[in-house]
Amino acid sequence: MTSRGTALYVHVPFCMSKCAYCDFASRTPREPAELSSYVDAALAETTAWSDRGVLGDVSTLYFGGGTPTLLGDGLVSLLAGIRERCGLRTDAEITVETNPETTTPEIVSALRGAGVTRMSLGVQSFDDDVLQTLGRRHDAATAQNAARLLAGSGMRVALDLICGVPGQSMESWDASLRRAIDTGAGHVSVYPLSVEEGTPLCRSVDAGRVPEPDPDLAADMMLHAAKVLSAAGMVRYETANHARPGQESRHNTAYWTGVPYIGIGPGAHSMLPAGEFERIARAEGWYDHPWNLVPGTSDAARVRFSVAEKIEDYLAAPLRPPLVAGILTAAEVSAEDVMLGLRMAEGVDVALVENAGLTRVLAELQADGLVEPAGERWRTTERGWLLGNEVFGRVLEAG
Amino acid sequence: MTNPEYIRNFSIIAHIDHGKSTLADRVLQMTHTIADRDMMEQVLDSMDIERERGITIKAQAVRVMYDADDGHTYQLNLIDTPGHVDFTYEVSRSLAACEGVMLVVDAAQGVEAQTVANALMAMNADLEIIPIINKIDLPAADPERVRHEIEEALAVPADEAVLTSGKSGIGVKDALEAVVARVPAPMGDPDAPTKALIFDSYFDAYRGVVALVRVIDGSISKGMKIRMMASKTVTDVEEVGVRRPANVPVDQLGVGEVGYLITGLKDPSLVKVGDTVTLARDGAEEPLPGYREVKPMVYTGLFPIDGDQYPDLRDALDKLQLNDPALLYEPESSHALGFGFRVGFLGLLHMEVVKERLEREFDLDLLATAPSVEYHAYKTNGEMLALHSPQDLPDPGMIEHIEEPYLKATVLVPPEFVGAVMELAEGHRATFKDMQYLSATTVDMHYEIPLSELIMDYFDQLKSRTKGYASLDYEYIGYKTSELVKLDVLLAGKPVDALSFIVHKDKAYARGKMLTEKLRAIIPRQMFEVPIQAAIGGRIIARETVKAKRKDVLAKCYGGDITRKRKLLEKQKKGKKRMKNVGNIEVPQEAFMAILKVDD
Repeated sequence: MTSRGTALYVHVPFCMSKCAYCDFASRTPREPAELSSYVDAALAETTAWSDRGVLGDVSTLYFGGGTPTLLGDGLVSLLAGIRERCGLRTDAEITVETNPETTTPEIVSALRGAGVTRMSLGVQSFDDDVLQTLGRRHDAATAQNAARLLAGSGMRVALDLICGVPGQSMESWDASLRRAIDTGAGHVSVYPLSVEEGTPLCRSVDAGRVPEPDPDLAADMMLHAAKVLSAAGMVRYETANHARPGQESRHNTAYWTGVPYIGIGPGAHSMLPAGEFERIARAEGWYDHPWNLVPGTSDAARVRFSVAEKIEDYLAAPLRPPLVAGILTAAEVSAEDVMLGLRMAEGVDVALVENAGLTRVLAELQADGLVEPAGERWRTTERGWLLGNEVFGRVLEAG
Repeated sequence: MTNPEYIRNFSIIAHIDHGKSTLADRVLQMTHTIADRDMMEQVLDSMDIERERGITIKAQAVRVMYDADDGHTYQLNLIDTPGHVDFTYEVSRSLAACEGVMLVVDAAQGVEAQTVANALMAMNADLEIIPIINKIDLPAADPERVRHEIEEALAVPADEAVLTSGKSGIGVKDALEAVVARVPAPMGDPDAPTKALIFDSYFDAYRGVVALVRVIDGSISKGMKIRMMASKTVTDVEEVGVRRPANVPVDQLGVGEVGYLITGLKDPSLVKVGDTVTLARDGAEEPLPGYREVKPMVYTGLFPIDGDQYPDLRDALDKLQLNDPALLYEPESSHALGFGFRVGFLGLLHMEVVKERLEREFDLDLLATAPSVEYHAYKTNGEMLALHSPQDLPDPGMIEHIEEPYLKATVLVPPEFVGAVMELAEGHRATFKDMQYLSATTVDMHYEIPLSELIMDYFDQLKSRTKGYASLDYEYIGYKTSELVKLDVLLAGKPVDALSFIVHKDKAYARGKMLTEKLRAIIPRQMFEVPIQAAIGGRIIARETVKAKRKDVLAKCYGGDITRKRKLLEKQKKGKKRMKNVGNIEVPQEAFMAILKVDD
């Protein structure tokens, strides 16, 4: 393992209800017992990964979802169980995602007591009409109260906001940004709404009940957010993320900087250096399973894999061999590192680009006004930020 | 050889979808030509596309042996014909090989335009017509009304019409008895020099060109030296045989018999449909009548999306032409699209079928430009240029006048839609000639219409404005002078030759405006603004703008997202591959067909 340790992600796949735009792996629990069997399964999986020797130095831990706080006390015991099984650094960042309606004083203080350092609150908007379009269960007042409660807890607070929602005006957006700033949160993520296939929102748009999101308005809102948030001291450090200096998400930064990560829970993804994965796969005898891709091609450098996405399957057998989602060659790894680096405001080192053989591609992107050199680094321009897919696509294609 | 007294040669003719191929299937089954377990739908339609679309593209012939009620066994040669107007010439050649036809009419739909056209062709060829009212087990079947229509519209006595259902097999035996009783036995002189009609051909990778023939006089046998009278090809007969429906070699084909002929020739242009086969020495003096070169009616540019596939496209066209001599092509190069071919087709269906076969059977990604007709531009110096592509139109100053091909169109429609047909005709520059009531429920309307208008969405519009009731048939009548201009389309200020088209002066403005609007909706937003302009001779007549895209970013990119995003970006990349880069603008394929969807 590298000196940057391992990032550990725990996916809690339950929500009280499904939001209109959500295509994540989550659903309402069928019975209360499902929550406790989930905790048991996640701990069993953690034990397995720990035994495989990859959780000896965990630098960040993130409970995402779904709605982790739906587990209530179960979340506290899950965290305690993970501590027992892993080498969690003393200064580890431990984040819990939550939403306004499950953020109670009890759970906040319990999590605080269990050592959680950071709470990520899914506010999405402080406008009731927008919240309704999104199919959220909470209203603006509930969100406000939850944010205040978290602000007073001593943990760091991150808020999520969504822009480009049909019916959302620039005034509404501006107001949401300002109320987010007023909560004292040190981190705000801004996501332009994307209509994903198969979601209720997608069906509404297809049926003409909800107008299609306007990408130009979303662009204006992203620019406005960057302006308003930076005036409040929160600098955009990644495509969607703004933070006060020092309050950047360390866990998410790990994803963008090639730190290995292990995902626990149904549908959660993991990434390991190919050699590490192969060693484990051999020891576990996964190669014998016909449904599993066999890595070990000499040029494999990085392997991504996940466990069963269906909750029932996961609960029945959390230790089944993972499904390989992608094997990257060294060249692909270099291109991916550049791509991910360009998501970061600080950009990527020119040497990294040069080693990846991408200097020519970056020069072309520069000609299109998408990236620019800044000292010894390449970084995206404002245009390149908003047209990120053009940048990412061309970099990956060249890799 | 069979005594001609016990041979019957007949075709099944019908308007498209009236059940011709299904009826043919039943005949094969009933005569045990094909075992029940080998039966699949539309046996005679051997191409995948034919089965999927339920249409017949190539004529087919099959010999069946039928034990008739009179105690004799008859050799019946069933010649299936294409049902679509694009393939009219193939129908007429097939008919020339027969003495009679089953004229199949749908018991619910009744007489339609191609029923009339096909019946007229059969009458002109002096064939015995056996009316068959098919699909009588449909709930909407009304055989009495249809019987009446056949008599009224076609002047064919229908009291002896046979009622059938190809689906269930009802009446199929009666139909075969009618063939035996009413279709004349072939007449011919067994001692005269050989005369045989080539009514179809196809290419076999191992055997070369296989001609389907009908012997009129004399005989053809293996080893004989023969001559094709129109193409003047002299060759040896390598094999003769009959189709049951697989090829079965025989020693000889005699008077009245239908079968196949293999010469080993590999070049389809030497073995032409409609040509007459005779002996190389002391052959017949006069060929059989009716031969003509098949001439394409519409032309389109076919370009590989990926320029590297150009040689593959050439090979594919070469191979396809072996089975489809009506397909003509020449290399074409476009500033916008690179290297491709200008391809001539019999009609729009033919074009669609060929494009689909090229993409499917040869794994090509193709872009087709909007179809055009052959214009004749007369230069001031008297020279005539035959133009297959709008790009070839010379400078207006050099042109004295332009002529375009006209068709006589026949539309059969219930009376309540006469107004709609008239209105549509006006919008398509058609001249009304006359109309008459064929029956209380069917009006027969005649127009003269430029072919270029007919291919401009006319058929789809006709169908939609008449709720699907109208049927259409047409025949070529010749060239007429028109006031035509070339309309150019510019993307980002640069003319895109592949989007140019020729249009009547009076419609240029409206078409230009609508085309630019359509293109604005079709062309996706790019990294920069793309102006779309329509121009005539340098004068801009319409303009639209595709705004530059401002936001296109996957905002969430965490653990599992990275794989998802990678896949998404790859998918986007594939989507882009389905588009053609014109300069630095990504133009989707449908943009090149947009002109056809311009509704007036």
